[in-house]
Amino acid sequence: MPEFGVERDIAIYNKLLDVFPKEVFVPQNFIQRMFNHYPRQQECGVQLLEQMENYGITPNVETKVLLAQIFGEKSHPMRKYQRIMYWFPRFKHTNPFPVPHVLPSDPVELARFSLTRIADDPDAKVTIYQYPSTDITETGQEVTRPHILGIQSPDQRSLLAKHNPCRPVYVEGPFPLWLRKTCVHYFLLKADPIPPEEKVEEDFDRELIGPEQSLFYPQRVELDLERDIGDDESFSVDDVEEGLVYAMCMAGQGDQATLSQWISGLQETCPILGQIPTVFRLESGPRELQTSSDAQQTPEQEVEIDQIIEDEPQRSQRVNQ
Amino acid sequence: MAVSRKALKALSGVYGVTHRQPLFFPSKLGCSAILSTRSVFERDYRRPGQPPDTRWPWQKIHFDFSKGVEGIKKHIGLLKDEFVQRWTGPEGRPLLEHMLEQTRVQWEFRGPESLDQWVVSSDQEIGGHSVAYTKLGKNNTTCFLYGSLCSTPPRDGETRYSGYCTLRSKQPLASFDRKKTYDWSSFNTLHMRIRGDGRPWMVNVSAETFFSHQRDDIYSYFLYTRGGPYWQDVKIPFSKFFLSSRGRIQDNQHVLWLDKVKSIGFTLGDKADGPFQLEIDFIGLCNDLAHTEEFAYELYKRNPEV
Repeated sequence: MPEFGVERDIAIYNKLLDVFPKEVFVPQNFIQRMFNHYPRQQECGVQLLEQMENYGITPNVETKVLLAQIFGEKSHPMRKYQRIMYWFPRFKHTNPFPVPHVLPSDPVELARFSLTRIADDPDAKVTIYQYPSTDITETGQEVTRPHILGIQSPDQRSLLAKHNPCRPVYVEGPFPLWLRKTCVHYFLLKADPIPPEEKVEEDFDRELIGPEQSLFYPQRVELDLERDIGDDESFSVDDVEEGLVYAMCMAGQGDQATLSQWISGLQETCPILGQIPTVFRLESGPRELQTSSDAQQTPEQEVEIDQIIEDEPQRSQRVNQ
Repeated sequence: MAVSRKALKALSGVYGVTHRQPLFFPSKLGCSAILSTRSVFERDYRRPGQPPDTRWPWQKIHFDFSKGVEGIKKHIGLLKDEFVQRWTGPEGRPLLEHMLEQTRVQWEFRGPESLDQWVVSSDQEIGGHSVAYTKLGKNNTTCFLYGSLCSTPPRDGETRYSGYCTLRSKQPLASFDRKKTYDWSSFNTLHMRIRGDGRPWMVNVSAETFFSHQRDDIYSYFLYTRGGPYWQDVKIPFSKFFLSSRGRIQDNQHVLWLDKVKSIGFTLGDKADGPFQLEIDFIGLCNDLAHTEEFAYELYKRNPEV
């Protein structure tokens, strides 16, 4: 069936079931009912229903009528149909992040869908930095420009504005994201976690606290009114040290030129990127998200970072690793 | 709207959580156990093409003196701990903590020895081509399960479907390799912190059973990952877990009993060939007081006899 592309069509399954002769396999007396009446044919019916179930297609009432006419009410295919009709509606809507069966074929729309999916924030905005296009230069060569879409939320923008320009930001990728059967790749702009000795405790904004606030009482009261005093729902696990993610992007090609275009596009909304050195950590295969640099990479980066800081800070500097 | 991949997996096959279990019932046995005409049901999975195991029971025992002094020391140390820990409280934790705790971190991955409690397997045991590995994530702090799935079935004439991988925890052992179980009776929700790549996984919990027919009973539920660089907190109440045996969801459902839990496992079997990755930070239990549901599925007899 996949060869003809009809595996998701319920009408085809019903037509296949129609091939069986009606009323022949229905048991007529108690002896036939006791012993498996026409076992191979019942197995065939069950196999058909199993394939339907494998592709996630819910049978309809026509299937039920056909099964009742072909095999009778208490046959194995009918039992399987009843089981499918019991469990499928229960599990149909259990996915909190549903993916439609028919994904958009346009790569820009697909990238937009997947970026809004992985960005946790509903306030995050998708910006299209470049549409896919094909140009022919004067020499007659075809230049294909891939699409570049980026996403950034206002929180990420404010965090990036507070980023210390002495520390570099890393463009990492490509990371895989699966949507049903298609795998797309995305890139991240992130920073390494700050080591504890350099962490700065932020003073809270004096404006947020009213003028009536007394100096003797704590300025922030950590009181969760929905929980009892003895109830504690936190887990005694240390949080994993992770760097901050400032932006995400998806591009047609994962090479440095395309990503540099993304960074320069991002610079329009975040001018501080001009002063922060950007390091590209690109790998060809899927890999885990790394925050702390590996031991081998650290010495190289430090050398390059020193060189960058000496250069003029106006342009955004890109360093190849 | 069509059903997700994982939902249909529940019906056709909850993935084999030990390497001995087949993913799907081999077609030689018919598409369901009712229609099969075999007289002998084999207890463990027998790879098609291999002769059946006809050894006598006494031939299956093998003594091993290579464990030596370290083994004796380790087991006697564990035995001593068991006697001494009773004075502080059950399982070595103070009694007040055992009675009043509302959250417990059961597995957290901090250090290489945490990976020793887990077993990774894929369909290589039945002759498939998927691969799965675990390693520690960055800074030795998370478990990173990665690999690649391949759903071409092995060419042995029997197996019809393939392409799965599992990560299962080993059953806790007391001194002298006696099996121990977890007691989770004061909790009702499983809380996990994971970072996946958008694939739908399945969580399987297996509990201690009494009858030998129940040895492959697994309670499972879906674990949908969002993908992306952010951690995902997943809370699954235990009332949602449905019962399945050897990959087939059962008609007679009952709630998972939490007082004797053997192991937990994660399995992936959506039919998308390609690389996968899952990162687990910790697995904990909590008691959600707002969740009063006892069981999510009906308990009445749904397939009355003819």
